[in-house]
This record gives sequence, structure tokens and C-alpha cells, in this order.
Amino acid sequence: MGISAAQKRTVRVTSDTGVKVRRFIDLLATVVLWAMASSIILLLAAFIAYLFYLGGHWLTWDFIFGLPKETTAGGGIGPEIYNSFYILILTLIFTIPIALAAGIYLQEYEQPGIFRSIVQFSAESLATVPSIVMGLFGLLIFVYYFHWGFSAIGGALTLTLLNLPALMRVTQEALSSVPDTLREASMGLGATKWQTVLRTVLPSAIGRMTTGIVLIAGRIFGETAALIFTAGLSLSTNHPYQLQPFRPAETLAIHLWYTHSESIVPDVDRIGNGSALVLLIMVLAFNILARIGGSFLTKRFTGRSS
Amino acid sequence: MTRNAAFAALLLGFSLVAPTPAFADTSISISGSTALLPLVKDASGVYQSQHPDVKISVSGGGSGTGINDAAAKAVDIGDSDILAPTHPELHDNRVAVIGFAVVTNPSVSVKNLTKKQISDIFSAKVTNWKDVGGPDQKIVVINRPRSSGTRAVFTKTVMGGVPVSESGLTEDATGTVVSVVKQTPGAISYAAFSGTHGQGLNELSIDGIAPTDANIIVGKYPVWSYEHMFTLGPPTGEISRFIAFISTRSDLIQKNGFIKITDMKVKETDR
Amino acid sequence: MIALQAKRSHRNERIAKNVLRAAAMFVVFAIAVLILYLMTEGTKTFFIDRFPVWKFLFSSEYDPSEKLGGAAIFIVGTLAVTIFAIVIGGPFGIAVGVFLSEIAPSRMAAILKPAIELLVGIPSVVYGWLGLTLLVPFLRTHTSSPSGFGLAAAGIVLSIMILPTVISLSEDAFRSLPPALREGSLALGATRWQTITRVLLPSASSGIAVALILGIARAVGETLAVQMVLGNSTQFPMGIFAPTAALTTEIVIDMPGATQGSFLEHELFSMAFLLLLIAMVLILLVRFALRKRI
Repeated sequence: MGISAAQKRTVRVTSDTGVKVRRFIDLLATVVLWAMASSIILLLAAFIAYLFYLGGHWLTWDFIFGLPKETTAGGGIGPEIYNSFYILILTLIFTIPIALAAGIYLQEYEQPGIFRSIVQFSAESLATVPSIVMGLFGLLIFVYYFHWGFSAIGGALTLTLLNLPALMRVTQEALSSVPDTLREASMGLGATKWQTVLRTVLPSAIGRMTTGIVLIAGRIFGETAALIFTAGLSLSTNHPYQLQPFRPAETLAIHLWYTHSESIVPDVDRIGNGSALVLLIMVLAFNILARIGGSFLTKRFTGRSS
Repeated sequence: MTRNAAFAALLLGFSLVAPTPAFADTSISISGSTALLPLVKDASGVYQSQHPDVKISVSGGGSGTGINDAAAKAVDIGDSDILAPTHPELHDNRVAVIGFAVVTNPSVSVKNLTKKQISDIFSAKVTNWKDVGGPDQKIVVINRPRSSGTRAVFTKTVMGGVPVSESGLTEDATGTVVSVVKQTPGAISYAAFSGTHGQGLNELSIDGIAPTDANIIVGKYPVWSYEHMFTLGPPTGEISRFIAFISTRSDLIQKNGFIKITDMKVKETDR
Repeated sequence: MIALQAKRSHRNERIAKNVLRAAAMFVVFAIAVLILYLMTEGTKTFFIDRFPVWKFLFSSEYDPSEKLGGAAIFIVGTLAVTIFAIVIGGPFGIAVGVFLSEIAPSRMAAILKPAIELLVGIPSVVYGWLGLTLLVPFLRTHTSSPSGFGLAAAGIVLSIMILPTVISLSEDAFRSLPPALREGSLALGATRWQTITRVLLPSASSGIAVALILGIARAVGETLAVQMVLGNSTQFPMGIFAPTAALTTEIVIDMPGATQGSFLEHELFSMAFLLLLIAMVLILLVRFALRKRI
């Protein structure tokens, strides 16, 4: 017997001032909260509108696909966009297999014990490392120790470390959303654990995983701090679209920061506004793609709509 | 447990013998001084159009970055406004001479200052323009980072041994200094001619001497330095060809606000 | 025939299990190496250059060329910007989290939640750029700040950046409370607001603490957006509009020019190691808060 703390609080609530006052405060609070929530939507709308206003008329073919100019006005961001995608794809090539495997292991081959806690804790720790500290680590290992200098692959590997925990979490959550009945049915038919995971669980989870992966891809696209010291701040203007990864690779996000930071071309504002807008559009695109892709795949593989 | 140890050992082993690929034959990477940057970028554009198989990538970061990157072999050439006495392994290739101006926002009516006045301003002893003959306006000091060659030259030739106060804003590069000074009323800073000429800033005369190339050539204006392109050991192959290319193209040198070394009538050994 | 298939699938099962476990091990390996490397580089200031730890933390004499590495200014700068951000973003974020969990009708939530997701997705350079082009000139013309750069600019930008984190974690905290709590309170005649403030908030306190702690973690580690608007002046912030410097901004500004093996390089890695330690402490705090669930 005994009253819980929550129960005690509930009792205190009612021996209060008049009903009218309480109702008024309730209304006031509701209005204030509505205002706060709406202000967030307005803030986002304002940012988007402002970025379109600033950068909209710079979005010409020349700008998006043109080469950057070294010291004169009129440069484009073509190679930088290429590098952003290049590093994104390279990062995903490394991150997806490792994160998927680790996530599956933790979720499906569950062995509650020391090893599992260590892995969970490692992932959590990796997730809180600030991106600049990760960039410094990448500098130590890939630029100095491996002697690669500034390289796209150094940047991609650094970003892999940065995004492993997030992708692991996505995998684990997606897997846990698959009902156990599926697993039990599969095992009941004689499949091994791996066969179950590969042919039954994964396809069911693929919709949610795709959503998660595309959202993370959006974040990788905009990453800067970890790339400054690893992928570098420059690219070669007469060989801007290289296929090999051992070369400096300035991305669009870095270009935005660096153009302002160096300010050597006279049209810094134009390049900055245009780049910011393109980055925003890419984020919007990734977000929309994540939702559409996710629900399409879920429907296709499971017949459910979410 | 031994299986885990085996995996761990494998990972460790791989990381210790990671490959160092040799892709770098005709590619040149350059970083460093943002004062020299306009010339290097311009020249690299011309050079690459003449030699289509060469890939040059150029970035700034400041003189300290250039020296550091060259010494660590993170880049092939490190640009710097200053010497690198702590790195005797670096080979000094001088390509031009550059002057530096003390500039203010156009709202400041002062046109000339003595070295002592400048030194007092940057060491935060004087904080209002009215104390040096200007309007009643707060002085906004803008500095470069400690690794900046521009800052080192300024400190050596103008500050007279008085340390620069850290209470000012810090901007990374020549270009940003110029744009912040342009936007901020009451601002003052120091930057290379290559960045300041033609920008609409108020370029101050120091002790009555105007910041022009002519005054530098005869040694009247003190704030100048050689531009160094450091390489790890004497430059070879394409790198040495590119460096030679820059130092001989007077048209590019002068167009970007620099002075040919051979035009100089005075020499200095400490910059 | 079946026996052969069974044997093959058993072997596949073992291979798969080992490969998966290797991947999990890699994660442990990665963080271990990271901590090891940063600890090695980060303590060189104290062991090789013999600069005392207490001076690093509490002295404001910072001149790496003279081997003076007092990082107090940057530590205070990081603290100041973080406090500014959490003071604005914290309550605001919790309020909106409450709104989403308790008050918002599903149509409003359907607009608000994607909006928050978008805000998270905006890269930090773009926030920095918005701060630079919108906020800094505004502060320059409408407040006593001479250049617009400073603590206020960085604090405002950061508070917007941590909002999504605080909002979604607060919302989660409230959603996970048992309905019986709300029902009981309302049944006794309390208004919704009273229910929220006097019953739900205290019960969700550990979840809210987590929301705030993770918001703080985000603020402490943010580099680019802060560097673009903070002013980067190596002095203590003397007022809310004063330019100052933080650990992350100092690293990104001076690292490119730091020669390997120099005092400056060691000093910057010590700052990086300090940031890592702060991050680790924050996770431990989160775990502690989660364990305290009522």
C-alpha cells in the first residue's frame, strides 16, 4: 500500500484556485504553444523563401554545370556538385555493408552480454564524436600516416566513421519493426537464421531502411567539418571530373564555406547564394525521395502500405 | 574469443600496411598564402590551358598552412609570404615581390598615419578614430590568424616589436579581410596589394609614404615581402617548370598587383 | 540430397555469422583507435611540451609561438555559446515537443514533423551562410554590436540548429508516458495545462534531461556555422554582442597552419581531445538519466 509520487501530484492539482482562472491559463498556454509551433513552420518557410530569393536568379545552366573560375567572376559549381555525389557514393559503398552487417548482428543474433554492450556503447560513442574531431582523426590517419595527401577516399572513409552509428541505428530500428511471426514462420519451415534474415526479414524492412539511408545520404551531402582536413579545399580545373579517388576533392558544401572564407573572386555573394540554394534543393530532394522511395519499396516487398 | 582476436589482428595489420598509390605524375597540388593566391590561380589557369595533361589544384589557407603542408608532403608546393627558418628541408623558390597596405573602411576620413599610431591602434591602446584625427567612431580592428604571413610581415615592419592585440576580429584570408573591412564602418586591417587594389578601400599612407609599387621598388615604403613557393627539396619535373613559368611571366605578375623581383632596387634578406 | 543442402546452409550460416560479427567488431575497433590516437596526440602538450594541465584549462595566456597554451578563453567561449543556445532553444524545444505530443491535431503534426525533419537536414554551412547574410547585418545595424559578429549571432544560429533535436526527443519523452497518468489527472478535474506542467513534466523529466543533454552535445561540437558568425577574437566575451572564440572555431582556423610536431599542433589536438572527453561525459550523463526512469 502506499501512494505513488504521480498520484500524490495528481491530488495536489485539484485543490487549486478557481476553475475560471485555471481554464484561462489553459487557454493562454495552448495559444502560446500553437504560436511557438507555427513559428517553426514559418521559420523554415522563411529560410526557404529567402534562399530562393537570394539565389534563384543565379541558377543558370552555366552556374550549375560550369567550371569554377579561379580569380574572376562567373564561376560555376559543376565539379563541386560532382565531388559531392562522388564522395557520397563512395561513403555509402563503405558505410552500408558495415553498418548493415553490424546492425543485423546486434539485432538478430542477439547475445545479451558483454560483447553486445561493448558494441552498443562503441556505436553510441562514435555517434557523439564532433565532426571536426573526426576530421582531425582523418587528417592524422589518411593524410599524414597513409601519405595520401588530401583525397576523396580519405574524406569518404572519415565520413564512413561518422555515419556508421546512424546507419546502424536505422538498420536496428527497421529490423525491429518486422514482426517476430515472420521469423518464427521461416524458422518453422527449416530455414537457418541467416536464410531467415536474408530472405524474409530484410525484404520486409527494406522500405524503412531505404528511408533512413536516403536521409543519411542527405546529411552526408551537406557535411563540411570532417572534409576540410581530409578531402581538401581544392580541385583541378582542367581535370575536374576524375574517376580515381586519390585526389583533392572540394565538395559543394565546402565550396560554399571556402569561397566565403577565401573571398578571392569578386562574386562571392553570388556563388554563396547559388550554392546555398542548390544545397537546400538537394536536401529537399533527398527528403522527398526518402519518403517516396521508402513507401514504394515497402509496398512492393511486403504488400503493406507502411 | 581467439576468433575475435584474429579479426582484430587482421584489421590492425591491414591498417599498418595501407597502400600509397602513385597517381601523382602530372598533378601538382598547391596551398598557402592568400596574398599570392591570385597570381598562382591565374598562372595555373594559363599553364593548364597550355599543358592539357597537367592537373593543378590550388587552395589558400595562409602562409603557415603552405609551409606546413609542403613540409608534411600534403601538397607539392607551399606558398608563403615569409621565410621558413624552422624548416631547413624546404627549398625556397622566390617568384615575386608583394606590398601590403593598411586599409580602412571608406567611412574613415583619415588618410595618413604614423607607424606609432598604427602600432597603438593594433595593440588596442587607441580605440577611437578621433584620437588619431578622424571622426568620433569606434575602431574595429580586424586581424589575420597567427599563422598568417601577411600578419608576420605587418608585425615586423610596422608594429615595431609591439605585439598585436587579440581583441580584434579574426578573418582567415586576404579576401575576407577586404570584404569585412568594406562592410564594417570604422574597420581597419592589413592586406596585400593583390587583394586591396581596386576594391574601393581607403589605403593609408604610412609616415607620409603612399602604398605604391614605385615606393616599394626604391625602398621608401617598408611593408613588403618576397613571395616564396616552398618545395620539399629542389623542385623537379613539372613542378619546377611551373614555378619557372610563374616567375618569368611579367604580364601575369603585374596584372595581379605584384612586382617582378628583377625590378627591385633594394634587397632584404629577412623576408 | 537434403542432407547436402542442409550442410551447405549450415556452413553459410557460420560464415554469415562470422562476417557479421567482424563488422560489429570493426565498430569497436574504430572507436578504440580514435580514442587512442586522440589521447596520444592530445596529451603531447602535457608530456612532451611539459605544459601543465591546470594551466591549459584555466589560464587565458594563449600564444603558441611562445609556448603558452592557456585555453581558458576558448573553453569559456564554447560554454558561453552553448549556454546561449540552450537557454533559447531548450525551453522552446521542450514546449514544441509538448505541443506535438499533447496538443497538436494530426493535420498540424503532419505539417510540423516534416518541417522539423527538413530543419535537421539543412547543412550547417547553409545555417552559417544564413547567419552571415541575414543575422550579422541585422545585428550590426540594430544593436550596439559594431560589426554584427559575436556571441549573440552564434548563439541564435546554434539555438535554431539544436531545436529539432530537443523537440523530437522531448516529444518522445512525453509520448512514452502511460496514458493512465493523463487520464487520472483529467478525471480529477485538472485542465490540460495543469496536467502537462504538474503531472507529465515531472514524470518525463529524465527524457527531457536527455533531450537537453543531446542538444548541448550538438551545440558544443558545431564548428562551421559558429565560425562564420562568431568573430573569432581571442578574448573573453565581454557582453552578449562581443566577438569571441570557441574550441571548435580555434581548431578550424589554426590547424591548417600548424606544423606537425609544433606546440600549436599539440595544443589544438589537446583541444580536440577535450571536446571528445566532453562528448563522452555527455553520453554517460544520458545513460545515467535514462536509468533513473520512474
